[in-house]
Amino acid sequence: MIAAFLREIAVAIQAIWNDKGARSTMLGATLFFSVFFPQPYLSEVVRDMPVAVIDQDGSTLSRELIRRIDAADAVAVTRYAADMPSARKLFLTRQIYGIIVVPPQFERDLLAGRAAPIAAFSDGGYFLLNSVMSSALSNAARSLGAEVQVGRLTASGVDMAQAMAIVEPLRVTTVPLFNPTGGYASFVLPAVFVLILQQTLLMGIGNLKAGRRSAGGLSTFADAIVYVALYSLWAGVVLVLLPWVYRLPRIGDVVVMYAVAVPFLAAVTAMGFAVARLIPSKEGVIFFLVVLGMPLFFLSGVSWPAEAMPQFLRTVAFAIPSTTAVPALVRVNQMGAELRSVETTIFVQLALCLAYSMLAVAAERWKKKPST
Amino acid sequence: MARRAHLAAGFRRVLLAELRQIGARPGLMFMLAPFPLLLFVLLAAVFQLGLPRELPITVVDQDRSTLSRQMVRIVDATPEVAVTREEGTLSEGRQRLLSGEAYAVVLIPPRTERDVLAGRRPEVVLFYNNQYMTPGSLVARGVGGALGTMAAGISIEARVARGADVESATQSVAPVPVRQSALFNPSLEYVQFLLAAVMPTVLQIFIGASAALSFSRDRQGVAGLGKSLRLGGTLLKTTAGKMAPYTLAYLLVLWGADALLFGPMGARFGGSLAFHVAYGVAFVLASQMLGAAAALIARDTVSALAAVGVITGPAFGFTGITFPRLSMNGFSDIWADLLPVTHYLELRTDNILRGAPLDISMPAFGWLLSLALAYGGVTLLLLWLHGRPRSSVAKAVAR
Repeated sequence: MIAAFLREIAVAIQAIWNDKGARSTMLGATLFFSVFFPQPYLSEVVRDMPVAVIDQDGSTLSRELIRRIDAADAVAVTRYAADMPSARKLFLTRQIYGIIVVPPQFERDLLAGRAAPIAAFSDGGYFLLNSVMSSALSNAARSLGAEVQVGRLTASGVDMAQAMAIVEPLRVTTVPLFNPTGGYASFVLPAVFVLILQQTLLMGIGNLKAGRRSAGGLSTFADAIVYVALYSLWAGVVLVLLPWVYRLPRIGDVVVMYAVAVPFLAAVTAMGFAVARLIPSKEGVIFFLVVLGMPLFFLSGVSWPAEAMPQFLRTVAFAIPSTTAVPALVRVNQMGAELRSVETTIFVQLALCLAYSMLAVAAERWKKKPST
Repeated sequence: MARRAHLAAGFRRVLLAELRQIGARPGLMFMLAPFPLLLFVLLAAVFQLGLPRELPITVVDQDRSTLSRQMVRIVDATPEVAVTREEGTLSEGRQRLLSGEAYAVVLIPPRTERDVLAGRRPEVVLFYNNQYMTPGSLVARGVGGALGTMAAGISIEARVARGADVESATQSVAPVPVRQSALFNPSLEYVQFLLAAVMPTVLQIFIGASAALSFSRDRQGVAGLGKSLRLGGTLLKTTAGKMAPYTLAYLLVLWGADALLFGPMGARFGGSLAFHVAYGVAFVLASQMLGAAAALIARDTVSALAAVGVITGPAFGFTGITFPRLSMNGFSDIWADLLPVTHYLELRTDNILRGAPLDISMPAFGWLLSLALAYGGVTLLLLWLHGRPRSSVAKAVAR
């Protein structure tokens, strides 16, 4: 029995190696995607986004404000425009990504203690650029404003500590956790890597099994064991090694990671068998999986909050292993969650594994009947 | 005249043969229109809210004073967040973050109210989950704004107590207010931002894959490409005849999705409709030629599909919609230029969102047309190369 099982294991390994499609998806594509996919995001943050300034005041303080905006890492003042139409033209031709207008009498109003507003125009079509602009600007404006205020108060005879207490009676500190620099690669890649595991594993099983008869329970079980074992190795590569290569924050416990990853891979494998039995053609399976990649990423709730999705959709999405596994693995790896924070996900994955196994068996039985 | 009619007949013959092929395959028919539209509906449902609201956060109020309770109320009243829990300690708050039940924890330390009154400038800390960047930054902005308003109110009171009038006290709280407005998409709706960009990216996969399948099928078939080439008469007629059904189907899907977006979903269309049609056609043709070229380079159907998947699957990251192109490395920047969808999305942004004059969009439009011509050229060249030997082999077999 054990010898027979080991023989089946060897057969399963050979089958992957001998099938060109399976070899290229389960071995090649996994590695290729995990190197190719990160390329656009590798610089992590936006630096020196070019912006234009219309300085209608031309005073010492307006220049000081512009200097502070330019000093922010994320933006660089590259153009001085005379008026709005010429600045707009630069904007439309994508030479700049934001416009800052300092109105006349900016300095006079500020020194007289009146509000001295500045105007900023950013691009609502590109969210990251929009938020980069707004944080650079509000930091510069706040620090300059507070300094002028404290200066005015101390000049009128208030001592420094008291002046500070008047200007800022309550300090509000915001602390970004887990991805402190707000790096885009750190945000997207940990989730994408999990999805790459799922999609390439499904494609590989599709390549090997689509349209083929089951070769019996023992052989199928051996296949499943081999796939889960192979992908457990891949999980180590893409979830531990690659984050280290790309210098993404990773603070999780590897044991906890595998406590989630192995049930997840088992669920994906079972789903792969079910899909391969339901969609008979290899091409069909591959196409279906390529197309679904992006929608599945959004359904995982990492980039778009699950709370904002309709309840019906969230319920249906539970049937796909990545929906719960992606956030759980991100929480373990990037946020350092312990076992008890991801218990539910582990149970969901085991339940999915069971359900898809039953579906695969049922599909096999159902197919056999008409032919016999 | 007779010659022209003959050429048109070649086109028609290939077209009819292709339509028969599609008709015989229900899976392919499903892929042509119902499946992409279904995906559009799915994505539209994902982004249905436009802006997330009532994201759950946790408060750790260790002060339990009038002031701290007021803070919690103000934070809870911001539309972006909802205070769903209160915890006693910071570590319990952290546990909520780790289990995904909260996106942020607001810590109000003991003696906050007393310290404010004594002018000791206590510190309120907002910890937010920046690993989930979209909800994290929304929550940070909302809560930060609410707490800032609260601090400003206290500052105004302090100034009034020192003898300032309310008007000037209010002005001095924010000495340099920033009036930021987005030039385009002013409401910062995700529907305009993401959905409008994700849909064409998904369609590019469909378009490329369908073209790849159509050419691979012929190439792997018994008769080889020669049969289609004989039917069409010329390379161009054959390609046009084979691709026409797909061009039409995907243009209808593209514009159908737009009709939903700008109709019932209420997105604003600010540009030229004629130009929108023009670059839509160029986009579909360029994506088809990309898929066809891949099919003729790859050895078999599965590799052809895999090649199209590799090129079009990860395309979204390269388009610069989420992470801007100006911060990408050299490789990504070049790769992005080779993808039809990059230029299509840029043209969409220029035309629909920005209402930019046409001359500004000409470079991107030129790119899109050049890609269509370049990939089309490769397709015709390979078709010529593959078609000849295969057809002679087929003839030999027939003899």
